[in-house]
Amino acid sequence: MAANAQGVAEAPFVWHPRSAAEAWQLKQTLGTEGVFTAGATLLRTQWESGLAVMPNHFINIGAIEELHGFEIDSVSGTGSFGAMTTLSHIRTSPQVGESFPVLVEATRNIAAPSIRNLATIGGNILSMVGDSLPALLLYDSVLHWHDGTNGLQEPLSEWLSTASAHAAWKERLLMSVELTLPILDSNTKRFVAYHKVGRRDAFTPSVVTAALTMQLDSEDRLSDVRLALGGGQTIPYRLESIESYLNGKLANKKTISEVYALIVEQFEPKGDTFVPVSYRKKAAANLIASELWKAARTAR
Amino acid sequence: MKDSMKPVSPLDTSSIPCTINGSEINLNVPPAKRLLSVLRDDLAMTGTKRSCDIGRCGACMVMVDGVPVNSCLTMAYQCTGKSITTIEGISASGMDPIQRAFLQEGGFQCGYCTPGMIISVKALLDHNPDPSALEIEEALSGNICRCTGYGGIKRAVQKAIEWRKEAYESITD
Repeated sequence: MAANAQGVAEAPFVWHPRSAAEAWQLKQTLGTEGVFTAGATLLRTQWESGLAVMPNHFINIGAIEELHGFEIDSVSGTGSFGAMTTLSHIRTSPQVGESFPVLVEATRNIAAPSIRNLATIGGNILSMVGDSLPALLLYDSVLHWHDGTNGLQEPLSEWLSTASAHAAWKERLLMSVELTLPILDSNTKRFVAYHKVGRRDAFTPSVVTAALTMQLDSEDRLSDVRLALGGGQTIPYRLESIESYLNGKLANKKTISEVYALIVEQFEPKGDTFVPVSYRKKAAANLIASELWKAARTAR
Repeated sequence: MKDSMKPVSPLDTSSIPCTINGSEINLNVPPAKRLLSVLRDDLAMTGTKRSCDIGRCGACMVMVDGVPVNSCLTMAYQCTGKSITTIEGISASGMDPIQRAFLQEGGFQCGYCTPGMIISVKALLDHNPDPSALEIEEALSGNICRCTGYGGIKRAVQKAIEWRKEAYESITD
């Protein structure tokens, strides 16, 4: 039980802006006293456990229509998800499952259905360590922000690489995330995989989260390899040098052995008291090596 | 100033209309108060249990607009205009078949997690009357039992599915 569970204040003012412009204006006025709230599942646990102080003002973005729902355009191969889209909505949508299966598998692995009914894709992204992030990175996702002007677009990978060092993004409102489907070469077969390793089978913090997509041609030659790793307090990222190494290689025993060693060498997870860095490196390397092996076998 | 640009004050305790177990109600509580506290402390509906306070255990599960949510994570203002069903609402017109199944199959020991389990199973079966074993596991992945284990709970869910099917077939025959 959280130590200060009875002591959390319940006295903040709650604002209900109707548009992104109103919400953004409120944030500028309230500064650090005001926090955007959506599902607030992560925020609530941080307040209850004493990891963060409950702010004096909530800016509830739930009533802003343009933040809700998603659109998938199969012709252009893009999907746009409003920041208020719940994880359950994504998890249970056949349309999303058809176009962005790695994202659906990621949401299945986040918390439990009751949390996913409240929690939003925007909140999961802004946590910087959410389990949707490795999947979103595979799809070259772009964040769309409201910043009081004409809007700002920023590749997710760029934002993740700087977000912990700079707080300027906290003044903006995340509007949506846009995903792009990989283009499938007609002579190849595409493989996708998503794994979350935790200390329990379900509803567990991640030790390692791995997302992978790649193409294999009839000769087992790899192309368009995309690999993202995260887990725990590790901010997920694409391992681009390993992607480059794999592109053009044959998916054989030699390549799999080499990529295992490269991941152990290059992946830089954050360790903690329970799971050291070395374990996370090996777990990640094993996950990717096993997926390469499975893909090579399936392709034959 | 537009209405939407005025805050709801923590002292404003009369602005949250919702429905609880079929009855319309105005919650006279601070807007950020947890639904769990509203139910237990303000409305004396103690069937919804308090345990972890961080959404991990599922003891405080309720349905909001037909889907399960953790009432310890849900704030009062998030319930505006919503329909909330608690364990008291499940049995308003007699014991639900899910509750009977938990009794018959020994799906509880101390019983503290049981209201939350019942709510999660109710939400699952209302949406999906014939779930697979994997779907049942996923639906109950946010409910933790720390004394009886999950064997009896799984049997109870299977029994509830069976009884609900029989009840449906007896109506449609």
